[in-house]
Amino acid sequence: MSRTPEITEIQGSGEVARLLSYIALLAVSAGLFLEARTIPTSRFEVLGAGAFPMLVHATLIVLLLTAIVGSIRQLPAQAYGRFVSQIGQWAVSRRLVFMVFCCLAIYLFTMPVIGYPIATFAFLAVLQITFAPKTRKAIAVALVLSLIFSFGLNWLFAEVFNVFLPRGR
Amino acid sequence: MNDFILGATEVLSPSTLIMMFFGSFAGIIAAAIPGFTVTMAIVLTLPLTFTMEPLQGISLMLSVYVGGYTGGLISAALLGIPGTPSSVATTFDAFPMARKGEPGRALSLGIWASFFGTVISTVVLIFAAPPLAIFAVKLGPWEYFSLIVFALTIVASLVGHSLQRGLIAAMIGLAISTIGTDPMMGRPRFDMGFELLAAGLPFLVVLIGIFAISQLASEVEDVDAVKAGEKLTHGEIDFKTWVVMREVLMRPVNLIRSSLIGVAIGALPGAGGSIANLVAYDQAKRASKTPEAFGTGTPDGVVASEAGNSATAGGGLIPLIALGIPGSAVDAILMASLMVHGISIGPRLILDNADLVYGMFVAMAVSSLMMLVICVVSMRAFLRVAEVPKWVVVPIVLVCCVVGSFALNNRVTDLYLLGFIGLFGYALKALDYPLAPLVLGVILGPIAETNLRRALMTDSDWGLFLTRPVSLIFLIAAVLSVGWAVRGIIKSRNNQKIAKDSI
Repeated sequence: MSRTPEITEIQGSGEVARLLSYIALLAVSAGLFLEARTIPTSRFEVLGAGAFPMLVHATLIVLLLTAIVGSIRQLPAQAYGRFVSQIGQWAVSRRLVFMVFCCLAIYLFTMPVIGYPIATFAFLAVLQITFAPKTRKAIAVALVLSLIFSFGLNWLFAEVFNVFLPRGR
Repeated sequence: MNDFILGATEVLSPSTLIMMFFGSFAGIIAAAIPGFTVTMAIVLTLPLTFTMEPLQGISLMLSVYVGGYTGGLISAALLGIPGTPSSVATTFDAFPMARKGEPGRALSLGIWASFFGTVISTVVLIFAAPPLAIFAVKLGPWEYFSLIVFALTIVASLVGHSLQRGLIAAMIGLAISTIGTDPMMGRPRFDMGFELLAAGLPFLVVLIGIFAISQLASEVEDVDAVKAGEKLTHGEIDFKTWVVMREVLMRPVNLIRSSLIGVAIGALPGAGGSIANLVAYDQAKRASKTPEAFGTGTPDGVVASEAGNSATAGGGLIPLIALGIPGSAVDAILMASLMVHGISIGPRLILDNADLVYGMFVAMAVSSLMMLVICVVSMRAFLRVAEVPKWVVVPIVLVCCVVGSFALNNRVTDLYLLGFIGLFGYALKALDYPLAPLVLGVILGPIAETNLRRALMTDSDWGLFLTRPVSLIFLIAAVLSVGWAVRGIIKSRNNQKIAKDSI
């Protein structure tokens, strides 16, 4: 408890989030360590294909356990309660970031189906118009840029570089 | 002398110089776009050289090569996104400097450092090619593994606020590098039955996802600023060409040390600019009287990184010219362009085609000069990028990242990986994990594993790592490096404690 006063509310919530990340990483790393143990060793070499990953994950597990212990010792009890309310505020303040990732996910998963030009045009138009100040000039610029970087870039790659971006099904 | 004049005459002919001008420009533009590498630019140039004279063709490719090493700096400084893997360390100081209102100075420092780095590496190439090449190829897997162990200690310089999270990030990077086919026996690992993991996580996709996507996402965190049309950077767009040239030349030790590191790493087959810029940055930080200034926009950081990565261009040519061994993918393509013309590459290259080799030296020097001229003339146009509002830059650069990731292997699954890694990178950034050690882990992981297993396949005696002199030197350097880092951390903690007590 000696270090409790040094931790502000926001730092406390950040530390709780980090603690959760250590635990999640520890679970993944432990799973992969066990998986690496099952990789058979070749008779032509001393170390098998699983040895190096086991070394890496063992080190990672030790580091994560140390980090978890350090975080738990550092955090005051009330930090956990505050974390739940502050995570909501954090998510609201970063709503554009979540929107970017949602649009990116839809864009990447629809591109093989509808093709690069249409998917890119829609992605650029939606993001730019959402972000841009609501003026006619800004919207016109957004639409022109969307056309250039979708259909224009597709043409450039196909005709000049002979690289064919996804054409859709 | 006759051969030198013959080579120089061909390189300095107007038609070759015009080709090299366009090559330099194309290299700079390609590398400035996140996701497009020097290798991709060189590959696209190769077919154009088939109809040219051998020296004209290789001069064009060298101009793309040299231009490409500098171009990565543009997006690194202005967007905080390394344009190529060779400019990861450039983001550490050039980006903060640009954000503090000095984007022109940041770019100018990088360009001059790149120019001097290339010139120094060309001089070393001319005088030291044969002995350095012989040394480089004598290194066995034991020495390579020990070198990578030493390189891993660089993590200590890249950890940011927390050593613990820096080490965790480096280990995550090493763990990511183990996904996919095992590099020695081709055994599948950790693919979980997913096709997209079977081939492993391509390094470039990881780099773009971790650095570019996470950086672009964090640019839109402030909703009001984005909607008000905020620009990427504020401050004067002033290039200050000659003032900055003097500023770079006032750091001769840093410049020469970083360039020599670039040459040495470039000469090692398998290593390259992606490692050289980090090692040069690390050494500059360790040698500095103010290491705490690194990462906040110090000119020394920009000079070290850019001189280091540009000098690998000359370094990479050392084993190629002296022994016919390509040190990197780009050198292999350069080699292919000569072989297309029926020139055999090997130890006899300098004896049988001396005019070609001397011509290459001249072409390197001319390329660096051309890169400098193009950058100085067109940098004002590049700097306008910083004036474009975020609502334009963020979506468009995201599309460039997607196109770059796809064009790498023409694989749709790489796009899905990009999305996941981008989200993972943003989460790590939000949780204050340093991202550079992770990327370092991904770069060094396969080299470390391959050489460790190769060494033990050759001889199962672990003692060889300690009894082979060069290997031992690298390991001692690694121990000293860790000791130095621990000393620095203890010192800074004590200083903080004293400062707190005095308050």
